[in-house]
Amino acid sequence: MAISKAEIEKLAKLAKLSFSDEELERFTAEFDEIIAFADTINQSIEGGTEQIRSVGARMVSFDDLRPDEVMPSLPNEKILSNVEGYNGFFSVERSKK
Amino acid sequence: MNYEIVCGIETHIELATKTKIFCGCTTEFGGEPNTHCCPVCTGQPGTLPILNQKVVEYAIKAGLALNCKINTKSHMDRKNYVYPDLPKAYQISQYDEPLCEKGYIELDSGKRIGITRIHIEEDAGKLVHENGYTYIDYNRGGVPLIEIVSEPDISSAEEAREYAEKLQLTMRYIGISDCKMQEGSMRCDVNLSLRKPGDPNFGVRTEIKNINSLSFIQKAVIAEAERQADILDAGGTVVQQTMRYDEATNSVTPMRDKENSDDYRYFPDPDILRFCIDEAKVEEIRASLPELPFAKLRRYVNDLGLPEATAKQISRYRKVAEFFEGALAEGASVKNAANLIVGTIFSNMDTEEEKELFAVRISAAQFAALVKLADEKKINIGVAQSTLQKMLESGKPVEEFIKPEDLVGISDEVLENLCREAIEANPRAVDDVRNGKDKAINVMFGYIMKKTGGKADIRKAEALLRKLIGP
Amino acid sequence: MRAGISELAIKLRNREISAVELTKAYIDAIEKLNPTLNAYVHLTFDIALKAAEQADQMLKEGDAPPLCGIPMALKDNICTDGLPTTCCSRILTGFKPYYDATVWEKLKKQGAVLLGKTNMDEFAMGSTSETSCYGAPLNPRNTNYVTGGSSGGSAAAVCANLAVYSLGSDTGGSIRQPASFCGVVGLKPTYGAVSRYGLIAYGSSLDQIGPLTNSVKDAAIVFDAVRGGDKRDQTSVDYDYGPSLTQCLEQDVKGLRIGVAEEFFEGINPEIKSKIEEAIALLEKNGAKIEHIRLPALKLALPVYYIIACAEASSNLGRYDGIRYGYRTASYTSIEEMIVKTRSEGFGDEVKRRIMLGTYVLSSGYYDAYYKKACLIREEINREFDAVFETCDVLVAPTAPNTAFPLNYKGASPVEIYLSDICTVPVNIAGVPAISVPCGVDAKGLPIGMQIIGKKFDEATVLQVAHFYEQSAGEVIGAYEGGAGI
Ligand SMILES: [Zn+2]
Repeated sequence: MAISKAEIEKLAKLAKLSFSDEELERFTAEFDEIIAFADTINQSIEGGTEQIRSVGARMVSFDDLRPDEVMPSLPNEKILSNVEGYNGFFSVERSKK
Repeated sequence: MNYEIVCGIETHIELATKTKIFCGCTTEFGGEPNTHCCPVCTGQPGTLPILNQKVVEYAIKAGLALNCKINTKSHMDRKNYVYPDLPKAYQISQYDEPLCEKGYIELDSGKRIGITRIHIEEDAGKLVHENGYTYIDYNRGGVPLIEIVSEPDISSAEEAREYAEKLQLTMRYIGISDCKMQEGSMRCDVNLSLRKPGDPNFGVRTEIKNINSLSFIQKAVIAEAERQADILDAGGTVVQQTMRYDEATNSVTPMRDKENSDDYRYFPDPDILRFCIDEAKVEEIRASLPELPFAKLRRYVNDLGLPEATAKQISRYRKVAEFFEGALAEGASVKNAANLIVGTIFSNMDTEEEKELFAVRISAAQFAALVKLADEKKINIGVAQSTLQKMLESGKPVEEFIKPEDLVGISDEVLENLCREAIEANPRAVDDVRNGKDKAINVMFGYIMKKTGGKADIRKAEALLRKLIGP
Repeated sequence: MRAGISELAIKLRNREISAVELTKAYIDAIEKLNPTLNAYVHLTFDIALKAAEQADQMLKEGDAPPLCGIPMALKDNICTDGLPTTCCSRILTGFKPYYDATVWEKLKKQGAVLLGKTNMDEFAMGSTSETSCYGAPLNPRNTNYVTGGSSGGSAAAVCANLAVYSLGSDTGGSIRQPASFCGVVGLKPTYGAVSRYGLIAYGSSLDQIGPLTNSVKDAAIVFDAVRGGDKRDQTSVDYDYGPSLTQCLEQDVKGLRIGVAEEFFEGINPEIKSKIEEAIALLEKNGAKIEHIRLPALKLALPVYYIIACAEASSNLGRYDGIRYGYRTASYTSIEEMIVKTRSEGFGDEVKRRIMLGTYVLSSGYYDAYYKKACLIREEINREFDAVFETCDVLVAPTAPNTAFPLNYKGASPVEIYLSDICTVPVNIAGVPAISVPCGVDAKGLPIGMQIIGKKFDEATVLQVAHFYEQSAGEVIGAYEGGAGI
């Protein structure tokens, strides 16, 4: 199934990525091949209609869930240690030249 | 033209757990920015969520209180969208296997508003836009929420309000949330469309986001129904979009979508195992639920014989109802206990929150001791009221204010003498009464009450005075 | 022969060498060889020397754990408190986590000496380690060839004796395939056997941390040190393996049922096929029973893997938005644009391809046909594995259909490269353990790896067969000349 440039652009928007025109050309071509590859699963075994679950069949019981006990939070300096914060906040300039 | 309102409400309620839904950070309100945070709730790379048991328990409580079926198997999904208040770029929520389904809320009219589902999810952080910057605080990020989705069974603004109010009351009652709409611990999104009466098809609907008071729900429904009706009357079509209610102008306007797409790409969160809750656990949680306000109301009216209005005021607040029932258990009479709560205690409480908290300085037993004096007519109701007020202010028991010797009461003989004194001391008032100015008799009451420290039986005194003054 | 962990442990305890001396020898070797090999992308020598001093103290006090004082390396996607952890991606430039991965926390307590963080494919997405933003590591066996990936730096460091052992991560073969390409041992444990807390996620339902070592015994020792349930990772399991997996190593293979599935051998380079067949023959000669079995769903494992891994990745990698850590673009006109530019500049092509594929298979209208279908086939593959392990104790297969690619091999399209993961991905899909052990070299002298696959939490049998083979096959590839020389 061929995928259009417009569809690639829509996906890019969802994925918060942008591509130059030249990248988009290349990407669309590659993506066709990748989708064709992914499509091979559809020429195969009949899929059931059961609901899919997270992480296979393993389940936990209510009693195994985390008890509601407060653990100390981390100091603000740690939380902000990878950015330039402002008064304890994460901060982003809304536009920058 | 006349249209029928088709309305459903999605309600987000913050759960009153101690810790966040996926980490041990406190859910306490406020705090300096980013101080109730850890690697997990700020979405640091490599960290993993660990589901809080209490969140599941509280959601099940909500489900049971709203007559839902509890899914004994459930799992978490990821709802993907990128926004600065969402540190992982996905919200962990539930999509196709919510904890609770198919419940209802019954309105006063007896009409049932269906509950489609209740699921658990995490809250996002807070953004502050200032001086060309966006500042982000993740203290609220990861606070547990339940989302309660109603069926589109609501057909008027009044029903919308009543639905939300009953929901709020119930959630407070079962103690899973304080449901403070102003603080955002309860937020409502209203979906609304119009159709011609009898039309089986739904019209195009809009969604009004984040309404933060009960009365605004009512107003927003009216405003949006009018807006849509105007469009339809003019031959136009309603655009499906997200709206905002502006309380200042009482109008509904389209919101600039923060999402340029609503393809959330839900899929089961691979970091969180599917969980099961056995029937026994559900029953255990059911047994822990208190009697709900509407059941109480019915019981107060039918079994206790309270007037509907009084019963409503007492049953509305869990702590008040407990105080009331505690006093009854100590032998207080239904009528006097109810009237003293509604008349005297509530006069000290201006806001819903105060009644909700019901922070009184006396115990139900101490209250009952006072009520019983009134029940036994050892004090009259006026004394009971003023004494109760003193008890509330000081936190001291009734014995501090009413001595045993006071309780002997005023003998008929003493009272008659006092009435004579009062007549002698106030000749002018006596004349006024004789000339038809009936209110002048209050002057004599005042005299008697002052002399007896308020302990005289006012009805007896009135009868005596009228007899002595004559026609 | 190069000293293994247990020999080094004896030397350290006999004071033949101190942990500091041992560490310095590795530092010297890294300084000499790493500029060429590019196995390490962040060096932590100061911390290593301090840790070595503490290790010497622990050793002096006696009762030190087996890994105390042993110099090692971590893949750059394993979080280390205060030290760079970048997944070899521009988007995590400068990122220093303020928390430790559970595996590193465990090793640190046992006196491990961290020499540095090793090179890898960006976010572990790749089979050559060439998508690293720091440039590819080179294969120490022949520097014209890639190390394999994504844990290429971890494999190269162990191969060139620039670390006694290293930890890698394996989502679709990322430990086993580079181990095979570099001629070292690589163990991918059962999903859940080792905590993923602090492992920067690629495909969460597939990712697993495991050791790369110079011998099977070392792999058992390192696995012992890092395994176990973790309160911070709900998908981890506190499985009772007994005190140590090294105890199972001395047993032979008599009577063991070894499964050989023809699907694993389709499209395999004939040189590799014959080496694996030789190895199987050796096991059979020593009393193992060879069972020829079928795994028909295996041919679907590859697209299933790419669909599931990329779906999870597209969600896992959404958080790199320039706000809380890492790279942020220099100029923009709105926050939305800042995020898009940051991601477009910060991620490499392969990561973008996989994010796009993952976004596609989860998007409305395609979810059922791709993601959901893939999950259903995954369950079918699991059922087939379960059935096979009713009649077999382990499966033997090639680790990769080919030996190391030449560097900058541009002949292949992305999909052709994906196809080289054919032998390893079924193991991740099924969540079972597997090891790659060297079993010879091809005509160019490049190492070939044999894969031994076990049932869930049966690392014991996997290690037992691998160790038996390693011991009875003798030297199947020449020793690497160079490195720390210890
Ligand atoms: Zn937290």
